[in-house]
This record gives sequence, structure tokens and C-alpha cells, in this order.
Amino acid sequence: MLGKGSSLGAALDLLLALLLGAATCAAQGYTQRGFLENRATVYPQKALNDRAQAVGESLFRYEAFYQPSPALQFNGAIDLRLDTHHQVERHLKFSWQDREQQRPTGEIRRLSAMYHKGPVTFEVGKQFVRWGKTDILAPTDRFAPRDFLTVVDNDFLPITAARLTLEKGTNTLDLVWSPRLTPSRIPLPNQRWAVPPDLPPGVSLHDAGVAFPGGPQSGVRWNHTGAIEYALSLYQGFNHLPSFDAAPRFTPAGIQVDVSRFYPKMLMAGGDVAIPARWVTVKGEAAHFSSRDARADEFALYVIQLERQSGEWFFVGGYAGEVVTREGTQAGDFAPDRGLTKTLLGRAAYTIDANRSIAFESAVRQNGDGTWTKLEYSQAFGQHWRATTNFTVIRGDVGDFLGQYRRNSHAILVVRYSF
Amino acid sequence: MNETISRGLHGLRRLNPRHLRNPRLIFLFLFLQQDPRQIIEEAQRRTTSQSQRYEGTLEVMDAKSKITEKRWQYDRIGSHGSSKSVLRFTAPAEVKGVALLVVNHPERSSDQWMWTPAINRERRIALQDRSTRFFGTDFSFEDLEERDTNQFDYTLLGEEPVDGAGCWKIESKPKQTKVSQYTHSILWVRKDNYALAQIENYSKEQLVRRAKYSDIRNDQGIWTAHQIEMRDLKRNSRTLLKIEKLQYNLPMKDDAFTLQSLRRES
Repeated sequence: MLGKGSSLGAALDLLLALLLGAATCAAQGYTQRGFLENRATVYPQKALNDRAQAVGESLFRYEAFYQPSPALQFNGAIDLRLDTHHQVERHLKFSWQDREQQRPTGEIRRLSAMYHKGPVTFEVGKQFVRWGKTDILAPTDRFAPRDFLTVVDNDFLPITAARLTLEKGTNTLDLVWSPRLTPSRIPLPNQRWAVPPDLPPGVSLHDAGVAFPGGPQSGVRWNHTGAIEYALSLYQGFNHLPSFDAAPRFTPAGIQVDVSRFYPKMLMAGGDVAIPARWVTVKGEAAHFSSRDARADEFALYVIQLERQSGEWFFVGGYAGEVVTREGTQAGDFAPDRGLTKTLLGRAAYTIDANRSIAFESAVRQNGDGTWTKLEYSQAFGQHWRATTNFTVIRGDVGDFLGQYRRNSHAILVVRYSF
Repeated sequence: MNETISRGLHGLRRLNPRHLRNPRLIFLFLFLQQDPRQIIEEAQRRTTSQSQRYEGTLEVMDAKSKITEKRWQYDRIGSHGSSKSVLRFTAPAEVKGVALLVVNHPERSSDQWMWTPAINRERRIALQDRSTRFFGTDFSFEDLEERDTNQFDYTLLGEEPVDGAGCWKIESKPKQTKVSQYTHSILWVRKDNYALAQIENYSKEQLVRRAKYSDIRNDQGIWTAHQIEMRDLKRNSRTLLKIEKLQYNLPMKDDAFTLQSLRRES
């Protein structure tokens, strides 16, 4: 089964099948891994637009790597999903573009060919590209769209790209070209992670769809590794997070506001640095985002992060900030990256033993209008099984990015079988 | 023949032959001739190879004797202070693909990066983090470094057998340029083949970790321990590393030991 209008998809599916089939004919140079994960989420409170309080999800992920020669490697990965809450589509198909509003039942997570010779590595196909050094927020990580269906528990989405990496001594030059935008997946309008605004009587919202931009994205990053690590990066393309246009329309039933999504052009210039100091490692990352689209804001994001590992403890904490240099004319944005600025973020994790760990994470807005706190316990059983449970508490004002999700505190139990 | 042994034989030739019948005297004479640095340098020279590869099985036993098993593949190019190594987990399934790159330097502590495929990112292991246990084992990140003799000062403490094998007992203290969680270590070097038999690592005056080397075999002319037991005496836990499919001097390329190589083989 294929995604819409994807003749390329047929060929790619075939390629993936061939790649997976290679296991039987070429055990040498073939490696694989994967897992089956079942997740149950319980929300103690009902949301205004979503009465469901329990959600079940299953995810099967299979990754395969085939290296016919030392210079050449093929990488493939698929995801198969099911859920009880219609966050996953109900018909079987494999998505290549990742532009669906819901999660597809099948997703080609990775399908790429990688050639390597001396200092040159070239990878083409569907892949993950991660930039930046900070963890609590990574402003320069522009080729890393995410699945934000459940905003605070998100996962990265792959992109289709060609990536050329040149490595010379302690310096690396990374050139990325992507033929089209892979947008981040945003919360579904009829579910609890899309919080509807308070509207006056007689006014309703209407989803007027999305305008995906045409054209490629490209970026270059130079990274130096030494006693101090630093990188400079430049990106030209589109924001993978949408902005919204709103157009009111008078109807017999009242005023209908047509809300459409668009992905504004973006030019990013940024850098990141990691400085190992005597007691802590200091990491910093900053980027400025400009746009020729007058509807979009221009702004700068910056992060200062300290991290330290001591015995079985791991601490990371820092501050994320934002400076808006131009206000756009858009009606609104879905911008978790900017939403987590003006915020103190921290994480403490403790490894109890080889199989058990516990972690505490928190984000507190500097004005106190929103807090997010998560406590997680994880335990492995034998060679294949792991159970993880976490409790997330979200509090705050409805006008705050975190605070708006105050009815979405939840508990999660995840059971994973890895192979 | 190495300098240490040459010096010993040269001394013997000047002795009256009837003194040679007295083993105690020979022993005392050899002992007085030993320079601990030369012993360690000889031990290092004998384990020098262009590359090394093995598959390791780790059995982590906690204080309640509960056993957890992990497996990794270890590749190294170069030797000692100028070596680079990549350690890649192959089991259990949930950590398959997690890798550690260690770039050793002759004049200072190593650089280390950990690659986690789940997030497609590497993380530098800072110097102050090296005392942390490596992935729940009893080896710390620092224990995975290759020691270069020039980063330590040595004192010969005497001789003491380990598992019935005669050993030199040598104290090593890191020089100022070397950042270490250990204030000093005591090394037992076997006299018959210069292989390490045991290392005790101290933090101030407290013994914190003990590594015991056993099942020592001659592989391609290099005496190598096929079992290393690391005990964490604070936690009362231990990890047994069993080395299998060991090969020396395989052809390896330098570009297989870079940050890009971690990403490539994820």
C-alpha cells in the first residue's frame, strides 16, 4: 500500500523490501534491530475538546543496515502503528512524505544509501539530520522536524535529503540539501493537545487547510572538535513549525474564521559551543531567524546549559531565552521551541543499577505562569524487556504555552520488547 | 632483548660463579636492578600492536549476585598513548548500536564521545564525568582509556605473586597533566611475560576498584588476558569481561575512528 500519488514510493517500498530481504541472502554485513512498544496513557482530567482519558498505542520499529562493501551502506527502517484514539490513521499505508495530520499506520523512517571514502561521507535518501549541542532546546537543529501530536512527549521525524560530510582532522563540514519541506506534525484540532481558544458567541473556527511551500531547503555547518567544541551553521528554507492565517467570513450562523496553516520562509544563522570546565560542561547555542515573509516573526533564540555527571547522577539545567526583532502579521504560531523560551529547564537522572534508573525533569517559566514536571522510572527485565512509567504534571495559566495544557497532566506506562 | 633484562644479565656476568648457586642473592640482585618505569615500558612494548579487535561479553553482578549480560565489539587502531578505539554495544537489544569513541593522547587524558542512535547524536564525555560507571558496568569511562607510561610516575614496591605467578608490584601516580579520578594505582606485572595481573585503584587512601586479569594467553605473540574482572568495592559489585574472537594487527583505517564513523555505522 502506498501514500497518495507516490510512484516514487512504490519504487522505494520495493527497495526497502529488497533491503530487508537481504538478510536472508547476505548475513555478512547485515545488522538489524528493533522493538515492539505498547504504551498506555491516562489523563485524570477531561479536556474541553476531548473526553477520552485513556489512550493505548502500539509501535513496531524495525531498522536494518546492509554493508555490501566497506564504502557502501544501505539503511532502512520502518514504523508500524496502531492506537485507540485516532491519532493514527485507520487505513494501512506507508508514508514517505510525513505530511499527514495523523500519524500514518506505516512510515518509512529511514531509507538511504551512504557512500564513504576517506574524509567524504555522502548519504542520500530518507534520514535523520541533527545539528546543535544543547539538549533542553536546540535552536540550530533546523533539519529535525518532530511529531508534536502529544506536545510534551515528542519524537523526531526523518527528512528526505542529500548530505555531504567532509571530515578533516578536527574539523567537519556538513552540507545538507533537502528537496522539500518535512513539516512537524502538530496536535489534532479535535484532541486535547490542541487547546481551543475562548471565542465570543457566534464566532467559530474553520480549518481552511494547509499551504505547503514548494522548493528546497539547504544548510551548511562547520564543526570544530578540540578542547573546546564549536560550530557555525547556516540554514535557508522554511520553518517546519506552522504559522496561522485567519480570515473571518460572515455566514448565516455567525462569523466563521477560516484558519489556514503556512510554513514561512526562514533564514537561520547560528552557532553552538561546548566548553568542558573544571566542575561542569557549559554548552551554549544561539540562532537568529529572519524571513522574507512579512507574516512571520523575526527572532533570536539562545540557550545556556550546564551539565555534570557525578557518580550515578546526571544533571543538566539551563535557561532558554528569546528576543523578537520583528513582529509578523500572522494570526498565530504553533511554536514549541519559542514556547519553551524564557524558561528554566532542568533534568536530574540517577542510575540505580545496570537495569534501573530514575529521572526527574522540570520546566518553569520565568514569570511562573507555567510549569511542567515529569518523574520517570525505568527498569529492564532480562535481555529484551523494559518497562517505563512516568508521571507528568502540567500547571499554569491558560495564556501560557505550558499552562494551556494544564488539563493534560498524565501518567504513562510503556512496555517495550527489543530485539 | 629489552633494556631491563640486558642490565640484569650484565650484572650477573660480573658475579663470581659460585654466587650464582644462591638463588636468594640472584633474586635480590635482580630486584635492586629493576626500574619500575622500564618494567612498565617493557610491558607496554610487548602489548604494542597496529590494531586490535575482539568481542566482549560483560557479566555485571550486583551486590545481590543478580547478573546482567551485555556484549560489545571493540576495535582499536594504534597503541597506548596514540591509539583510538570504538566500542560498540551489540547486546542487549535495547542498547544495540550505542558506541563510545575514545581518542587517547600521549600527553594528556583521552577525549571520549558517546553515540546514542535513538537520538542520532553524540555527547562528549567531559573529564569530570569520567568517574561515572560506563553503562551500568563496574568499569568507569576512565577505565576504558589506554594508559601511556609517560602520564604516570612509578615506584617499585616489591614483588608479590598473583594466582601463583610471580609479579612486580608497582605504584603508579598520575602526573599533573593527567586528570584522573584515582590518586594512585598499584599494578601487578607478571615477571614471566610482563602481562598485567592485577590493578588496584585508589581514591586518596581508599581502594575503590580492583581489576584482575586472568586466562592469559599468547595471541599472535602478545600475552593477553581473556578475562578481566573489575570489582567496585564501594558498591560491592563486579563486572566480568570475557574476551572472545581476539585478533591483532587487522587492517583498519583511521577514518573508522572518527565522530562521523560513529554516525555512519549507526
